[in-house]
Amino acid sequence: MQIFTEELAGDVTKVALDGRMDIEGAAAVDLKMNIIAGSSKKLLIDLQKVSFLGSMGLRSIVLPARAVNGRGGKVVLFAPTDMVAAVLKTSGIDALVPVHNDLDAALAALQ
Amino acid sequence: MSEANTVKLQPRLTLQSQIDDLARLWPWTEALAAEYSIPADTQFAIQLCLEETLSNIIRHGYQGQPNHTITVDCTATAETRELVFTIEDNAPAFDPLAPSAMQDAPAPKSIDQLQAGGQGIRLLRKFAGSLAYQRLPGGNRLTIGFALQR
Repeated sequence: MQIFTEELAGDVTKVALDGRMDIEGAAAVDLKMNIIAGSSKKLLIDLQKVSFLGSMGLRSIVLPARAVNGRGGKVVLFAPTDMVAAVLKTSGIDALVPVHNDLDAALAALQ
Repeated sequence: MSEANTVKLQPRLTLQSQIDDLARLWPWTEALAAEYSIPADTQFAIQLCLEETLSNIIRHGYQGQPNHTITVDCTATAETRELVFTIEDNAPAFDPLAPSAMQDAPAPKSIDQLQAGGQGIRLLRKFAGSLAYQRLPGGNRLTIGFALQR
């Protein structure tokens, strides 16, 4: 599991996750996700390259999202695959954290 | 399912009751998927259901106590074109299909209510093709089926 960060215009932090967000993958990114969430107010989590998402992986998304929201910030999830999107929908996260497949729409939701 | 025509597809996976041991699950399902050309979406669903079931057993069934085991077997029958995973443990009785199990995991209404890691049973019910629970003397057996589409 790999994690890449990029600062975008408009004070947006993009976090791209790459790999399997299973129990091992979640453990590999947890610390970095929490640190990023601690300093970001507009967070775009890019899920394009996430090939698997289980409930422990969801935890690695939910906790940072909760932290950013708790400080008055915003989080969006970007471009999950169909199966990852189905996990987000089943768990109800898609109703609480916006999911966008279009980058412009994702960025607009953060403003 | 006819017992006589059931074929075991993979050697039994025996896991210790420790979350770290779940790292052995992915290579096991990946080998199975490669051997039988299982579609990627089905492999995703298999991995998801097994990971949720096994982590629930370790964390809640065995309550994090090490030195217990969980077994996973994979069988198939030509007639039903279904992959069947059988998970057995020696933990106290817990039926994930009981209505009370779902009542413990209501749909979250705000991100603060969202239980981190508490979505396992909901995901299992959604992604499994079929589910059956059986109480064993001193343990539990959960059977999870996935249709093999053509």
